Amino acid sequence: MTSANANSFVLFPLGEKRFALPAETVTELARPDRLQTFPHTTPLVAGVLLRRGRVVPVCDFAAVLVGPQAPLRKFYLIANRSFGSVRERTAIPVTGECTLTSSEMLPPTGKLPPYVCGLLLLQDEIVEVLDLERLAAVEARA
Amino acid sequence: MQKKEARRPRTAPREAVILFTVGATGFAIAAGAVEEIRGLEGLARFAPPFKLRSLARVKHTLARGKKTCFVVDAAAQFGIAASRDTRLLLLRHAAVAVQVENVARMAEIATLHALPRAFTGDERRWYRGLAQVGDDVVPVVAPEAFLTAAEISLLHAGGAQGAAREVPEGAVSA
Repeated sequence: MTSANANSFVLFPLGEKRFALPAETVTELARPDRLQTFPHTTPLVAGVLLRRGRVVPVCDFAAVLVGPQAPLRKFYLIANRSFGSVRERTAIPVTGECTLTSSEMLPPTGKLPPYVCGLLLLQDEIVEVLDLERLAAVEARA
Repeated sequence: MQKKEARRPRTAPREAVILFTVGATGFAIAAGAVEEIRGLEGLARFAPPFKLRSLARVKHTLARGKKTCFVVDAAAQFGIAASRDTRLLLLRHAAVAVQVENVARMAEIATLHALPRAFTGDERRWYRGLAQVGDDVVPVVAPEAFLTAAEISLLHAGGAQGAAREVPEGAVSA
């Protein structure tokens, strides 16, 4: 029997820590690309990438997730964010290769930030599963 | 026998834009939104009479016959620190001019990309969208975002109080 919480997740590193996103939200892992910037006032949006003729915003959540000392981000994880009924691709800078894993997601317990929607127990590692919308909302309130 | 429909080449409507810079940042504005591009001569210093932060970006006026143009400092509008302004873009829709570092060239854009929804700040008002020019993505500014009708009205009220005074040529900088 398959648990309702069993699912596929993409694990990505940010420095020493790994985080997870539901695999269904991730579309690709992209190599470093030219970040294009212009003036704006949205917190944690670093700029945009031009990928196959499409403009993809880059949301750098590292400062929220691991603090200001996050190491150099080398790749972009491209994930879908929902804006009402509209889905939009977002590039998230990560520090290394990503992996796909299948695991049961446990509900968040204790005093976890609101953007943690679950936990994965992977051998000796606890990985937080992120809710991008809530993460973006935290960033907007900051 | 069916007649074959004549195939017309599909050409996307293209829009002429003026590319300009403020500091190290490139922008575009619809060519049709600009009435004139000129130098900075003839500017008069202007102190907005109302202590509104949003009006602090208006530092000069330009007399155009009987009209007074309010000059928006684009660097202040977009929060850009350093800009060596040399040009004014006089806008068509209102008595507003924009002080920019340089006007690079004209270009044609085939697609205006909507600003991604991830952007939630003032930029949603500042830009009509994003355009690809060569390998670069440049924001296409919304002319009406430089000064709203209400802001222009307030500035006119201040102008009537005689706040403008002449600035010597070459004295206008970042």
